[in-house]
Amino acid sequence: MDENLKLKISASPHVRSKDTTSDIMFDVVVALVPATAVGLYSFGWYAALLVAVCIGCCVGFEALYQHCMGKKVTVGDFSAVVTGLLLAMNLPPRLPVWMAVLGSAFAIIIVKQLFGGLGQNFMNPALGARCFLILAFSRYMTAFYYDGVSAATPLAMLKQGGPVNLRNMFLGFTAGTIGEASTAALLIGAVYLLIRRVISPKIPLFYIGTFALCIVIYALVKGFDVPEFLAAHLTGGGLMLGAWFMATDYVTSPITPAGKIIYAVFLGLMTFVLRIFGPAAEGVSYSIIIANLLVPLIERITEPKPFGAGADVKKEEKKADEKAEDAPAAEEKAPEEVQVKSRIDGKGIVVAICAISLITLIMGAILGTVYGITKDPIANVEQQAKADAYKEVFPEANTVLTMVDGGLSEAEAGIQMNAINSNLKNTGKFDNTRIDEINFAITGTDKDNPGNMLGFVVLVTNDKGYGGELQLAIGISSTGEITGISFLKINETAGLGMKANTDKFKQQFIGKQVGQFTYTKTGSTADSEIDALSGATITTSAVTEAVNAALYALGGGY
Amino acid sequence: MKRTFKGGIHPYEGKELTENKPVTEYLPKGDLVFPLSQHIGAPAKPVVKKGDPVLAGQLIAEAGGFVSANIHSSVSGTVKAIEPRLTSAGNKVNSIVIENDGEFKSVEYKGNDTPVSELDKGVILDAIKQAGIVGMGGAGFPTHVKLSPKEPEKIDTIIVNASECEPYLTSDYRRLIEQGDGVIEGLRLALAIFPGAKGIIAVEDNKPEAIRLLTEKLAGDDKIAVHSMKTKYPEGAERQLIYANTGRYINSKMLPADAGCIVHNVDTVFAICEAVRKGKPLIERIVTVTGDAINNPGNFRILVGTSYQELIEAAGGFKTTPEKIISGGPMMGKAIYTTELPATKGSSAILCLTKDEVQEYEPSACIRCGRCISVCPGRVRPELLCNLAERGDIEGFLAHEGMECCECGCCSYVCPAKRHLTQTIAGTRKLVLANKKK
Repeated sequence: MDENLKLKISASPHVRSKDTTSDIMFDVVVALVPATAVGLYSFGWYAALLVAVCIGCCVGFEALYQHCMGKKVTVGDFSAVVTGLLLAMNLPPRLPVWMAVLGSAFAIIIVKQLFGGLGQNFMNPALGARCFLILAFSRYMTAFYYDGVSAATPLAMLKQGGPVNLRNMFLGFTAGTIGEASTAALLIGAVYLLIRRVISPKIPLFYIGTFALCIVIYALVKGFDVPEFLAAHLTGGGLMLGAWFMATDYVTSPITPAGKIIYAVFLGLMTFVLRIFGPAAEGVSYSIIIANLLVPLIERITEPKPFGAGADVKKEEKKADEKAEDAPAAEEKAPEEVQVKSRIDGKGIVVAICAISLITLIMGAILGTVYGITKDPIANVEQQAKADAYKEVFPEANTVLTMVDGGLSEAEAGIQMNAINSNLKNTGKFDNTRIDEINFAITGTDKDNPGNMLGFVVLVTNDKGYGGELQLAIGISSTGEITGISFLKINETAGLGMKANTDKFKQQFIGKQVGQFTYTKTGSTADSEIDALSGATITTSAVTEAVNAALYALGGGY
Repeated sequence: MKRTFKGGIHPYEGKELTENKPVTEYLPKGDLVFPLSQHIGAPAKPVVKKGDPVLAGQLIAEAGGFVSANIHSSVSGTVKAIEPRLTSAGNKVNSIVIENDGEFKSVEYKGNDTPVSELDKGVILDAIKQAGIVGMGGAGFPTHVKLSPKEPEKIDTIIVNASECEPYLTSDYRRLIEQGDGVIEGLRLALAIFPGAKGIIAVEDNKPEAIRLLTEKLAGDDKIAVHSMKTKYPEGAERQLIYANTGRYINSKMLPADAGCIVHNVDTVFAICEAVRKGKPLIERIVTVTGDAINNPGNFRILVGTSYQELIEAAGGFKTTPEKIISGGPMMGKAIYTTELPATKGSSAILCLTKDEVQEYEPSACIRCGRCISVCPGRVRPELLCNLAERGDIEGFLAHEGMECCECGCCSYVCPAKRHLTQTIAGTRKLVLANKKK
């Protein structure tokens, strides 16, 4: 033998498949490209910035943590890229960058690395971070935009009984997080993952199937248009992103074949319960996170039976039976080994699914009941506050009628409002303002006895107050005169912006008939000029913009 | 529905290197080494001593117990030494070394021409025992023991394992193509021991030529069927093979006989025919010498005891420097660090690879993709067993059915994190088995 021959030794097997962890992660990134592209097309350069920040931060934090902890830096496996991209897909398109950075840190350091790094995290890092951000910054995490204006997500509209555009929802031209909007693009990615055998269709199909079944039953019970309601729920919100890309996350879904089914059925039920009975419109992220926590339990009860399990026991039994026939007095054989009773068979899976369904339904019932009990009082209080505000801003009116009272259907009213808001947006002057309602002030007592029309009460929201949203009710007479202003939502700085809610400030608008207002810091010289609140220009600007938007919406020509 | 089982993998087959090359005979030049333990069971006891002249086919060591096998010289020459020699298993085994005189003088063999129907089963079993036949698929279980189960009346099926699911190996295929009659005759002889039993020759469907030939030869024979199975590794694993062909399950605590089956390798059945019909002991076999580092890959009919080095030279030597040489197939074979090893009754192949795929990758963290579970023919959880094994949790390892692993290697092959699953699990299994023996 050649003495120079240097042979390598290892235990069998000596061949390896070409697939590596980074190949799999890279495939997931590729599969997310279509949905990301639609998101960037819909939401513009800022969304692109968020995607870049999330990916960069996730990779950076992972490298940093591993370096500081003296571990091997494993960012080359692309898993942090996937986490970053998925996190970005789950963020609203105008989230402040620093929140995205914080979210990335939470995902990588708290959820992933502190629990042992890749493969050890107990919940999906991206979803963990999303839920953390929702809890911490709920207002920012639920502020959605489309086409540059703030807009409700289709699911939120659906929940309020509003109309939805199914075609746009399927294609992704609607409000939502960066990645969830386009069902079509997500499905293209899902097909890619299936073809590449990165995921098995088991979890998504059972998830979506269970959810769809519940929705159909619910729609039938409620007498909704079943196909439309179902289609809206399937294409709306994060269901497709969640089912195909998040619920299938290897690390946080059951590894056993039977466990995958139980997990997916639970997800479907949970999402249904949260979406329909929960206070928020969306329920996918919380469902997946809760299901993630159940994974160890599910795996424990669904461990597969090994090949030929019980074949020898059957044989022993047969023998024992034969012996028993031969000699009825034969002593019973003690079992030789105590079997670990943690396996589950076909019947067991059914039992487990039933148990999980029951638990979910009970939780749903409790949630639904609490929501039902509190819904009316909360609505009443809100209604009363509105009624008081309307009265205040239009003292002359006996009654304030809504568009629906005025004879429009809810759908027509919705379309009307969309048209008004889109006109507003086109002016480029009212970027931060949304008209919520336009109501009619009348002298009569109700819609059947309207009497004379005196003017309008407009409900306006401006989301660029110093402390977030400002909501105002503004009374405007038929001649374009401001009859009153009342704040329904105001969260400004005490002593500065909060002064907007004083008569002194509000009086500057009342009784004026000027078309549009401006504000000045140097002392008002004309009817159309408002003295800015000192130290609270942002608040002044927001209120002025809101009033101007209301005036513009009512014709703009006053 | 194709005959198969759930799980398994499709590695690169590599059979095209040698499958169409007819078997060539190779006569050794140097010394021959006969390890006294090339079978499962007690080592054989030498019946010659240093300096004795021997002939080819002469008994040089006799079975050391019931579960043991005779060993015969495959050449003529002189006993040079009886000393420990390295084997392909990696350990040193007491061996008889014979200096080859290059004349290949043989003892006279006496065959038995009695038709199968008139042969006494005792005669057949005795011929097999005398010939020292052991399972030639690699495990090396003495064949006469296998053919003497506790409850012979329960045996209803004898399966010839011609799946040859290990990549690169083609020696069984060549045997079927070139000497199919001998294989069939060997199976008929084995069936004669069990009057109620039927025979199955199970071939993977990547060998259509073998299936065609066998079906043709067996036309009209209602005792032996040729089964075509799906091409998939490990189709030839005993438990999976029995399931695919009979639908019966056995687990690690059972023997094939518990399911009424006996499984033999192709070469073993052929050796039975040689032993009974020609009176020839087991002194030769077919070895595939292949791999991308070999000049002329091929199949060689070799004499047991021949050095691997000579066989590699017979195949034209190395084309490129090999990084890894494997005794057997790439899935379950053993990596060897020297070629100065003797071919034994169980040596199926010498595989010389230019590149070692194992060391190309570094193992990384498990991402719980579940691929190991979906390919595991034993239907256990390799990722979990590997964790338990690494932690030394023997109790957990047993509770999660670690002993049901057949060490086929599918999990390690498929793992994207390149973890050494099979290796770790196999290590703990050996530990458990060793503890049991104590």
